[in-house]
Amino acid sequence: MARKLLLLLLTLASCSKGPEADLQYVSDARSVAAEWALVNEQAAHGKLTRTYVDSMHQWLRQQMQTDSSSLSQPKSAYAAEIAAVLDQPDDAAPAQLRSYADRLKQIEDSLESA
Amino acid sequence: MNPLELTLGIMTAVGGFVDISELVFAAKAGSTFGYALIWAFVLGTIGMSVFGEMSGRVAAIAKQPVFNLMRHRLGLKLGLVTLMGSLISTLITCAAEVGGMALILNYLTGWPYPLLALLSVIALIASMWILPFKWIERTYGLLGLMMIVFAVALVAIHPPWAKLAGGIAPQVPPGLSTKELLNYSYFIVAILSAVMFPYESYFYSSGGIEEGWGAKDLLTNRVTCTVGFGLGSLLAIAILASSAQLFGPINVSPEIPGTSALEAATPFGKAGLLLALLGMLFAVAGAAVETCMSNAYAVSQFFGWEWGRHAKPSEAPRFTVAWIAVMLLALLIVLTGVDVMSLVEYAVLFSIIVLPLTYLPLMLLANDKSYMREHANRWLAKALGWLFFVVVTAAAVAAIPLYLLTSGGGG
Amino acid sequence: MSALANIKIVSQLLDLPIIDKDERSCGIVDDIELSGAAGKELRVSALLVGPGAYEGRMPRWLYWLTRKIAGDRMARVPADQIVEIGSVVKLKSRGETLGLHKVEDKVRAWIPRKGAL
Repeated sequence: MARKLLLLLLTLASCSKGPEADLQYVSDARSVAAEWALVNEQAAHGKLTRTYVDSMHQWLRQQMQTDSSSLSQPKSAYAAEIAAVLDQPDDAAPAQLRSYADRLKQIEDSLESA
Repeated sequence: MNPLELTLGIMTAVGGFVDISELVFAAKAGSTFGYALIWAFVLGTIGMSVFGEMSGRVAAIAKQPVFNLMRHRLGLKLGLVTLMGSLISTLITCAAEVGGMALILNYLTGWPYPLLALLSVIALIASMWILPFKWIERTYGLLGLMMIVFAVALVAIHPPWAKLAGGIAPQVPPGLSTKELLNYSYFIVAILSAVMFPYESYFYSSGGIEEGWGAKDLLTNRVTCTVGFGLGSLLAIAILASSAQLFGPINVSPEIPGTSALEAATPFGKAGLLLALLGMLFAVAGAAVETCMSNAYAVSQFFGWEWGRHAKPSEAPRFTVAWIAVMLLALLIVLTGVDVMSLVEYAVLFSIIVLPLTYLPLMLLANDKSYMREHANRWLAKALGWLFFVVVTAAAVAAIPLYLLTSGGGG
Repeated sequence: MSALANIKIVSQLLDLPIIDKDERSCGIVDDIELSGAAGKELRVSALLVGPGAYEGRMPRWLYWLTRKIAGDRMARVPADQIVEIGSVVKLKSRGETLGLHKVEDKVRAWIPRKGAL
């Protein structure tokens, strides 16, 4: 009985394809864009070391890249949005990065309510 | 009770409380659900204090650590299942801590991550080889006290204290969608697991034997478990609360551990950042040592080998080989490239499943008057013990379904 | 009175840690050898220590795996070596005289003796 239940749950979990399956990556990417903006903002105020900023840029970009390549709908509007974030230079303006994060948040909310 | 020893013991417990899993989940919980999950940290800390006190008392009175007596209680087959489950979950946790160390060193130095993982393991092995047990524990625990910068940073950003205090009461935030409710439930399970990791009981009880605890140390044990763990949990709660205040409103749900350090950088600039990173480094390093030694304790005690760092490495040879092997296996896992956040998720998931099998024999032992004499569990310890056993069992049953349905808390 | 008078084998003896006269860990009571016969008095004649003692206590496939990893060595500790049974089994003699420290001593040869405080 327990095995059947586990199988059902696994099936349910793997069943969602398309935009719903991409929701977690859109959500991740939204946060990464917002984190990137925060790092650049704090760096502009002289609150962070250069080494930390460079390291965070590297890891945030890597995380965004992972989210982008995990999408099941690479031609979707949200995929294009994530690609646009990846096109930004490391020291992009915080306001610009935040606008991407806000747009991804809107997409995330609409995917959640779909 | 020696006041200096007691103070050092409490400070070590405080500095050593937060590990990479608590860091990650406290920051994510705060940014996602505001102050609403503070109660989960409080509940987990009380549970950890209850079982920690029991495991220390068993070590002091029965003079045997939990894994020795656990095999006797559960028998060989079920004991092997518990041992395997514990070894796997603690090894994954150790790998997460080693990966966490390498990440933090990367934030500090910019050196390549794989090289830093290797250097971290070399440094950890060297410290465990050279230092006797008491100084292994104290070095990392006391240096981990730099994490106090998170608590000071929280005060500096003037959070809404009334709302924060409201988070202490168990609650379900109103207006959550089904998905959000599942996510909230997953966070509860993950936080309980991260706070009550099985390795902590094994390490604590074995540490009591290493330090030669007896009946005279029962008060020290009780104070360390209540005051030490309680104060330590305030650091985790400070990370959660700062995240709620700083990250939640700007759509940040920390996807990498380094983001948490911004909580100290925001009010205090570079000095705050460096203190936060160094505090995180030593707290996570301490956890790497504890998970490593916990696995070595578990396998040595299960098979009756000589064990302990109160002896020189050559006096407990198979134990020595065991902890070096665990550290090297953890390094191998990190070098496969699996990211630290994934390791944290797996560690938390495996650990909560193993937790009921860890706590049940401990409860039975602490209740047993033939081992514990007049120091067996009284009514309060019994009641709390059974209550938390039911809580962790429910969490263990819910863990895998919630993980699958929420994609590991990703929503 | 002997430590083994009227003992409950499973709840009071099996899977207990063993320590020798120098208080060193010497393994676990992995199985117990009994003497006697059906309808007659049963006595514990020896403790069996080592992976070889698991054979009767595990499924066959698991014992096969255990043998591959740890071998099938087994030491026999005569019952008259037992001084006390409580939360551990205490022995009269040193572990070496009973064949209990062989692997530990082999591994010790590989561990450097320098550097530790």
